[in-house]
Amino acid sequence: MYKIVRNVHLLLASISLPFLIMYGLSAVQMSHSTWFQLKPAVEERQVSLTVGQTDGRAIAREIMDRERTVKGEISSIQPNDAGVALRIVVPGTVHDVRYERASGVARIKTSVAGTMGMLNRLHHWAGFWHEPVSMKIWAVAVAVVSAALMLLGASGVYMWFTRRPERRIGIALLAINVLFAMTLLTLIRISGP
Amino acid sequence: MRNLVLKLHIYAGLLTFSQLMLYGVAGLVATAQTAAERPKIPHTIRHVPFSIAASATDQQVADEVYRTLRLPLTRPMPGWFLRRTPENDLLLDFYNINGIWRVVVLERESRLRIEEIRNSLGLFLGDVHASTTGDEEAPRLVRLWALYNEFAMWCLLAFCCSGVYLWLTAQARSWWAWASLATGTVSFAALWMAFR
Repeated sequence: MYKIVRNVHLLLASISLPFLIMYGLSAVQMSHSTWFQLKPAVEERQVSLTVGQTDGRAIAREIMDRERTVKGEISSIQPNDAGVALRIVVPGTVHDVRYERASGVARIKTSVAGTMGMLNRLHHWAGFWHEPVSMKIWAVAVAVVSAALMLLGASGVYMWFTRRPERRIGIALLAINVLFAMTLLTLIRISGP
Repeated sequence: MRNLVLKLHIYAGLLTFSQLMLYGVAGLVATAQTAAERPKIPHTIRHVPFSIAASATDQQVADEVYRTLRLPLTRPMPGWFLRRTPENDLLLDFYNINGIWRVVVLERESRLRIEEIRNSLGLFLGDVHASTTGDEEAPRLVRLWALYNEFAMWCLLAFCCSGVYLWLTAQARSWWAWASLATGTVSFAALWMAFR
């Protein structure tokens, strides 16, 4: 049994390692934001589209068809007097589009995050409700790594418990952690609303 | 050396066990979410008497509401966060890690309407996992949790290093572990490039 659990622990850890490093590094960035420079690289350009459009989704589709570097999902559409403002997003890259109905011109401002900015965006990205296939695959990876992390904890506890010399001090450490966490979380939760 | 690293790996793991479970739960909760927006349906609505001076500004009213209600784990309302309802009543959303106290100042009725919007347990755990020490104005309880979270965050990175060390110094280094490491690395790199 011990050997099986140890192999499962190693298998889960090795397959999750790049993702866990990503989560760890981006957590450090979020906790200590002044340590890092997150200014994205910004580029602006304009493209000519069909004149007189009012549908934000149709505008986004036309842009993505014409400009191969513009890809992602539409995160907001805001019609205005002159046309439509919309945003196309993938983790780490944001395309802010301002489309003018009269001229058909779309001005695209693209902000590309650096490595730490990209890690930050990936940390926040999850869920199957995103449209592009790559984001759905990412969602699968997040779910697998999340479940793996829990199994890593559980298998780690099992392996520790089989080691007699570490059992007493381990029980104390585990009790401290669980009691502290449960007490604090309960106090926070019952504060309401 | 290996024995020392192994002990540290085990002890740090036990000392951060709850946080590691919480991080896993938070990831699964985020996966199960069906939209970016959160439900904002109040579970209770109550009214309390409240009168304001005619000369008071919105910011002064917001500060007075904050002092009067003393809502747990909230903080004073910043000026840029003040809003009005379609009926032109002052709307104050006091956020905390459990949800929102939505307070509407019904000036003509001399009372406050307080809506309590409570996040589900899943969303709460998701938010709690994101508490950082960077938020220096957080309430004391949340800050205490954030400190432990900070410790767990560094431990998570340390586990990655110590885990690799323990694996590479183990007597039996299985080919399938290399294969699974390669699978994880290639998957991560492929997704990274797909987003770039």
